[in-house]
Amino acid sequence: MIKTELYEQVLLETVKRGATELSADVKEAFVTAIEKETNTDAKKGLKATLESMELSAKRENPLCVDTGWPIFYFKVGNRCVLEGGFVELENAARRAVAKATELGYLRATMKHPLTGFDPGNNIGMNIPDFTYQFVDGDSIEISYAAKGGGSECFGGTRHRIVAFADGIAGIEKFVIDSFVASARAGAVCPPSVLGIGIGGTANVAANLAKEAACLRTVGSKHPDPMFAKIEEDLYRALNSLGIGILGAGGDTSVLSVNVEYAYTHIAGIAVATSTNCMVARRASTRIEEGGRVTVMKSPMWFGDR
Amino acid sequence: MAEYHLNGPLTDADVEQLNVGDIVYISGEVFTCRSRLQKYVFDEKNTLPFSTEGRNILIHNGPIIIKENGKWKLVSFMPTSSIRFEKWGAKSVDQWTLKMIVGKTTMGTETAEMMKAKKCVHVSPRSVSPNLWIDSIEVQDVHLYDELGRIEAAWFFRVKDLGPFIVDIDTKGQNLFDRMDETIAKKKEQALRDLGIDPDYQFTKLY
Repeated sequence: MIKTELYEQVLLETVKRGATELSADVKEAFVTAIEKETNTDAKKGLKATLESMELSAKRENPLCVDTGWPIFYFKVGNRCVLEGGFVELENAARRAVAKATELGYLRATMKHPLTGFDPGNNIGMNIPDFTYQFVDGDSIEISYAAKGGGSECFGGTRHRIVAFADGIAGIEKFVIDSFVASARAGAVCPPSVLGIGIGGTANVAANLAKEAACLRTVGSKHPDPMFAKIEEDLYRALNSLGIGILGAGGDTSVLSVNVEYAYTHIAGIAVATSTNCMVARRASTRIEEGGRVTVMKSPMWFGDR
Repeated sequence: MAEYHLNGPLTDADVEQLNVGDIVYISGEVFTCRSRLQKYVFDEKNTLPFSTEGRNILIHNGPIIIKENGKWKLVSFMPTSSIRFEKWGAKSVDQWTLKMIVGKTTMGTETAEMMKAKKCVHVSPRSVSPNLWIDSIEVQDVHLYDELGRIEAAWFFRVKDLGPFIVDIDTKGQNLFDRMDETIAKKKEQALRDLGIDPDYQFTKLY
């Protein structure tokens, strides 16, 4: 059995790491973008961003002032036993978010949607958000993702049902139109990690898109060549537009395009996009049944990607 | 594109020399706001409890500030998206006699017209680099803290060579991102063609 004290401590450390440390894969994508950049101002902007993000880890302060919607993903072994059960896991996650806010790793950003009431600790109705995936084994992998307001509020997240008559062309047209509109003037904080969900009901497509944006390793490819080709084609197309860092021009507009899919109805194809900002904040930790804790480089939410 | 290091309060001459695409760094006394301050003043008809004379640079921003040993400490700072405040943009430029708004994204046409009439510019960040900025910012004071909360309150900062920011709306009414839209639209046509998609592609209408 995994003790409450242990997983609560891991939850807080994971939130802190997600808020203050850049993931290794995102850093690598930044380094590549800096090398490739031919626009002088964009190159300076990318360098300044990377420099600031590296200082965050040392100073233990947030990578960005907007610390986003707090979101947890739990990949749970089928035989995993937690002290207090999963209700206590969620309570501990809420306590960890409140503590991280008190310690200044998170800004008190979550508010009541109608009154604007600010609880001051990022805890409220249905927030933080929890998603579970069940796998073989007896350990639990905890991932924390912070979805920024810019990336979520300016049309970076949307969906459309595409007719089978329109197929891949319809899917790609929708994605390109959506990204161009949402990245205008840097609204979604490009260069983005663009997640795309294809198939399922609209909410399934939207969840896949969000998980593809927040959890897929940047630079990974879909194992199915058909979907890998869509990823490659859109990556090339979007990076040919010259949108650049914060939309004021540059060679890199997306750091990665990640597609995930579900089977769909014969009537149509739900397509959803979810755009993550350049910081693409997340952190993951595994706790094994015996209490061994391992910091994970990447969430590995979708198998090995 | 030129680079300018400006000291606030700004004069008409300071901002009239700027063109879209120029880079600016700012020094002097500035204040911050987000939605609630503008709603509080322009919709709920409350009076701004301070004068903007001598403090005519506004930063759209919700900083992270904590109290440490009885003093305010700025933990993180990044300009937030101005475009969502378009409803109040023209009023803020006019009534607060602003000469510069610093914010991510840009403002809409109504604000840009007011900026042209009143000689004011909008500048936008080119990076997400809070740690390179917080050392250039000293927290001086705060207004409406109890009424609006820590993030939405009006913070007074003294800044030193804060930047770089790119001028996206100048006093001639030009907008950098309108120009960007034109070049992006052309490149988008080519990108679609390269994917074998007609730029005038029409979706099968399902609803």
